[in-house]
Amino acid sequence: MTQEATLPDPLAEVAPPRGRSGGAAWGIWLARRLGLAVLTLWLVSIVVFLATAALGDPVRAILGRDYGTNVARREQLEAQLGIGDSIITRYFDWLGGLLTGDFGTSLANQQPVWGQISSSVVNSLVLVLLSALAMVPLAFGIAMISSHYRRKRPDTVIQTILLALAGVPEFVTGILLVSVFSTTVFKIFPAVTLVAPGGAPWDEPKSMVLPVLTLVIAVTPYVSRIVRATLLEVLDSDYVELARLKGIPEPVVMRKHALLNAIVPGIQVVSLQLAWLAGGVVLVETLFQYPGVGRQLVDSVRNHDVAMVQALSMIIAGVYIVVNLVADVLSILLTPRARTAISS
Amino acid sequence: MNQNSPGHWNISRRQLLRYSGVSAAAIGGSSFLVACGGDDGGGGGGGGGGPQSSGGRLVHGATGGGAKDTLDPHQPVTAADIARCLNLYEPLLIWDNNYELQPALAESVEPSKDAITWTVKMRSGATFHNGAPVTAEDAWLSIRRVADPKAPLSAGGQLSQIIDFQSSKVVDDATLQIVLKTPYAILDSLLAEYTLGIIPGGEFDPSKPVGTAAFAYQSFEAGKTSTFTRFDDYWGESAFLDELVIQDFADDNAKVNALQAGQIQTLDNLPYNLVDTIKGAGAGVLTAEGGQWVPFTMRVDQAPFNDVKVRQAMRLIVDRQAMIDQTLSGYGSLGNDMYAPLDVAYAKDLPQREQDLDQAKSLLASAGVSDLQVELFTGDDIGSVAVPAANLFAEQAKAAGVDVKVTKKTPFYDDDYLSYTFAQDFWNTRNYIPQAVVGTFPPDQGGTYNETHWDNADHRDLVNAAAKEVDETKRASLLHDAQEIEYNEGGYIIWGFRQQVDAYGSTVQGLEPSKYLPLGNYGFRKVSL
Repeated sequence: MTQEATLPDPLAEVAPPRGRSGGAAWGIWLARRLGLAVLTLWLVSIVVFLATAALGDPVRAILGRDYGTNVARREQLEAQLGIGDSIITRYFDWLGGLLTGDFGTSLANQQPVWGQISSSVVNSLVLVLLSALAMVPLAFGIAMISSHYRRKRPDTVIQTILLALAGVPEFVTGILLVSVFSTTVFKIFPAVTLVAPGGAPWDEPKSMVLPVLTLVIAVTPYVSRIVRATLLEVLDSDYVELARLKGIPEPVVMRKHALLNAIVPGIQVVSLQLAWLAGGVVLVETLFQYPGVGRQLVDSVRNHDVAMVQALSMIIAGVYIVVNLVADVLSILLTPRARTAISS
Repeated sequence: MNQNSPGHWNISRRQLLRYSGVSAAAIGGSSFLVACGGDDGGGGGGGGGGPQSSGGRLVHGATGGGAKDTLDPHQPVTAADIARCLNLYEPLLIWDNNYELQPALAESVEPSKDAITWTVKMRSGATFHNGAPVTAEDAWLSIRRVADPKAPLSAGGQLSQIIDFQSSKVVDDATLQIVLKTPYAILDSLLAEYTLGIIPGGEFDPSKPVGTAAFAYQSFEAGKTSTFTRFDDYWGESAFLDELVIQDFADDNAKVNALQAGQIQTLDNLPYNLVDTIKGAGAGVLTAEGGQWVPFTMRVDQAPFNDVKVRQAMRLIVDRQAMIDQTLSGYGSLGNDMYAPLDVAYAKDLPQREQDLDQAKSLLASAGVSDLQVELFTGDDIGSVAVPAANLFAEQAKAAGVDVKVTKKTPFYDDDYLSYTFAQDFWNTRNYIPQAVVGTFPPDQGGTYNETHWDNADHRDLVNAAAKEVDETKRASLLHDAQEIEYNEGGYIIWGFRQQVDAYGSTVQGLEPSKYLPLGNYGFRKVSL
């Protein structure tokens, strides 16, 4: 970015050329990215399928000592899993199901998988999105304050706190928050999420506070530290110096010249953190009894419920891929050089 | 005996220990059961005391549960299932807090003199949640569902083998006659399992479960929450609570936090290490004697344990109190190498065995194995007590010059289970006869889990004779002799029995400890807020 330092306002200067060729170029670029995403998802599906198939005979695992004696149940499970077929046939049957929206039938309770996981998926997405909504402004705000007071006392204090928080695992944070806010010290927020039948966790907004707060505390330090580092780099650049020399007020310099240029690495690290959250909320969901995919995945693995594990793994992989795709698109849109490169 | 529902065996077997689950049978108190109505709504439990008031909504935090959760009265697996089961359905008879038989949907269950024909008199005035009266036909069809010889459910393993389905008949709406193929003097105890709830027509409808207990079904989501409302037409004293919610908890800490935050009012299976936390937070802890045990198992047909002196030496090596203090945080009672401590026939008079290293050494010396080395197999899937107990035993054995190598297997319950020379296992609360059959008989005679390969005809004859003996005194005397044989020669080291520890919030009244199942047999009917 520093190469563009001579440009007074990088964003205004190089808007992509409007017109057919530009639009078509964007279309092609997007199609390529989407194609790559689908390809990745397909490769993931092979890995997920092989990994779950390589875990050994699920029927033996489910039946345990009854494997030899309970022939009827064994045959029923084997038919359901298509054990007799070759692994390739089974894979394509499964993939065909996925493509038509059929995630199969749970081995644990013989109910359709999608009906059981759909609400968990929504619950987890809401949790992650709420955390992101709280985390992004907070992380950027802290980074701005910190870089403003660069290497002065407030910056040192903030950096020390962030480093300490980054070093604490999220379940420790969660336990501390629970003991402070719901059990030992104060009794302000619920300690666990109790969902009424047919309801959603956010029916009682208070119960969302601690899980969201735990996730925010878990990811904010990383994002904030990276944004601060980028900001410092930008603030040191010649064009920011020039802007200051031109007499532009410091807040404007910070907002327009520095922050906008520091936002792209920020988006990348936010997306990485979001993707991590999608799969990594297991501990937080368990601690707060939050009805999301993490808890369900643990339960399914315990039950040797192959269909559920496959479906949940694919969904988590899908979220990773979508979040990364969105982050890439945003990064390109916000990076003039890359934008120009595509449309020309 | 004790065949669980297909496909659920591994899970349930492990969970039985913690959840005080399916005990297949037991010797009842009296064979003559006098109708005595419901128990009194006692005022124990929640420190408050004073009169109990109606109304309110209680949320119970149940341990475990997940996608496999079921409301099926005849195949509950987890603690959450059992709690729901006991508050929705009732069997003909039921174990009370002292592990004694009480009438429930039957007013009486009486054997003929030869213990072949049993007459069940149904309670008059009992109705299902849908308003229909409970008849002998419902009871018989429910028993048939559980004891289907082709696919017996968890309480039906033994029943399916002994009931003569052709000769048994429903005499009238209030009378059922059960005819057995062979005399069995403790049939009443088989009918008292909570896994034998009576349902209309013996048919379970998952979308609309109907039972007779003090709470009626309202909603159910596997692995999450289920809700129940008070059943006002209950035949006994109705519940105090308006609504009962049973919430699954996958994590112990979440459960305890929820109790401290006042989100739930009761929880079962409180981890011992959290007892002080709960007490410090002003909540109540309910402790009850129990009959669950985690023995060391020595194969009596293999060296070195085929020599009874070596077995006795091993039994003398254990410091039983230390075992209880260290692996159960003190929440246990002493074992004396005999099981079924809650059975009326438990041989209390045999002297308590204590650690005696000198005698152990001399026994080992006279057996010619002074420098004994053995491998002890253990695993986490036996339960949280197993591995610490194994390590502690290895420590204690050092003092007697025995080198015990502890090998932790994952999973423990694999194809080698029942072949280990020296290992551990867990067992649930049961009375003597069913436990002896399943644990010490040869496999072809019902000993599905005979870890010690114990094969003693004298012992077996005594147990079989007792199972046919209607006279209680004679039965107790036969069982005493059987226990004495095991006390002197058996392959188990039974060092203690685990206590049940549950917790409740400060607003809860009416809970009483029970030897049978957690939280006073999940007796929410007697609880008020």
